[in-house]
Amino acid sequence: MSFTENILCTKSHEFVLKGEPAIVGLTDYAIEQLGDIVFLELPEVGDEFAKGDTFANIESVKAASEIYMPVSGKVVEVNTALLDAPEALNEDCYENGWLVKIEATDEAEFEDLMTYADYKEELE
Amino acid sequence: MVKETYLHDKHVALGAKMIDFGGWHMPVQYSSIIDEHKTVRENVGLFDVSHMGEVFVSGKDATDFLNKIVPQDITKLDYEKAVYCQLPKENGGLIDDLIIYKLGIESYLVICNASRVDEDINWISRNQRGFDVVVDNQSHNYSLLAIQGPKAIDVVRKMGYDIEDQKSFTIKPATIEGIKLLASRTGYTGEDGFELLVENKYAEFLWDKVLEKGAEFGIKPIGLGARDTLRLEAALHLYGNDLDEETTSIEAGLSWSIPKDKVADYNGKEVIMNQVANGGNKKLIGLVMLDRNIARHGYDVYFNGEKTGVITSGCVSPSTGKNIALAYVKNDKEICTGATVQVMIREKLHDAEVVKRPFVQKRNKV
Repeated sequence: MSFTENILCTKSHEFVLKGEPAIVGLTDYAIEQLGDIVFLELPEVGDEFAKGDTFANIESVKAASEIYMPVSGKVVEVNTALLDAPEALNEDCYENGWLVKIEATDEAEFEDLMTYADYKEELE
Repeated sequence: MVKETYLHDKHVALGAKMIDFGGWHMPVQYSSIIDEHKTVRENVGLFDVSHMGEVFVSGKDATDFLNKIVPQDITKLDYEKAVYCQLPKENGGLIDDLIIYKLGIESYLVICNASRVDEDINWISRNQRGFDVVVDNQSHNYSLLAIQGPKAIDVVRKMGYDIEDQKSFTIKPATIEGIKLLASRTGYTGEDGFELLVENKYAEFLWDKVLEKGAEFGIKPIGLGARDTLRLEAALHLYGNDLDEETTSIEAGLSWSIPKDKVADYNGKEVIMNQVANGGNKKLIGLVMLDRNIARHGYDVYFNGEKTGVITSGCVSPSTGKNIALAYVKNDKEICTGATVQVMIREKLHDAEVVKRPFVQKRNKV
């Protein structure tokens, strides 16, 4: 089963995989658009964010971008391995390249998000 | 209306990511900026820089006229030689930076920045009164292909160009692959290389030939993304980032390019000569970040707890792995090589060390 089959996406190119905990990251389209990733700043375990809050920062050679929370929640795990090797995101932004795991606090917020298939369609 | 070069369809066919740059739809990258950057440092790359402006200046007073509008001494420019120039206003602020080539007696080619062609022509026209000179903007009729990197020389040789003893910063009429063009040994990467100026109708043919003949030397097409990281490592200024109408040549660290003994008067001479003696209001410095953070254009710079200036260009240096930047700071003696300043990044101060420019040793002198 492909990772992207069950993810939900935002218009700003974040994804969330529902679960306990939920997994949050950036879509392959976002990574491709950014190009070579050279810097990543992630939050700490325990940090709480509302939907739409900036929770991380990413930079490619060309530009700096903010990453927004797709749903409200509390960070329970951070993919710290990426901090020293952000370029790994260019290879895989899903199985090994997720950014944080969260305890989502508002189930209803998932309903506002797009399936990966719809997201891909929207991009075209 | 966004403009396209005659090579636009080639870029799209090669799968380039296209962006708007100075009013032009240009390739920012084909594969990856880091990969393209390393290709130019290690082998050779091909750039479409047809968006740049080409202005021919000729007539009885061409030399005297150019000598009036740039601080450099055009009377001392030899036939087929090139010189890096700036176009200052009376207050020393810069309209643009240029390369001027001497093509013949009272005949010059001026290469200027894509985004500044209109302003340049405007400025040149305003200064033209009293000079017997013809200013011919041919930007729309010419394409410019840059072949850059340590193996650039192998590529042009393979294409049948007998470079003989063509030195850096010279231009010659040449016939390459049957096409009459102007070949100049210049570039914007810090590497050895050539820039080929051709009529638009030959651009696609020449582009394909360069890639075909360059294949055995590992040539790749290179986008504006790597062009920016390459020029920044070489600490070459980018107009609009590091140069503007509020910045003088001296403040920009371009004193090396200004003759101190030029007799003729020129726009901004009084201000420039005063700053040669006393320094400007601000100065350009090179920075290396001391952590993983990247300083970007527009970020504030602090020294001893006070705001002292602003970052004008910054990126990861693919050659060194360090995060490098150019910044303007107050003309303070304490902000010197080895000093530590801070850059405000996402509301936090990050240390950076002031270093000598360029960040990577240039290898373009031949």
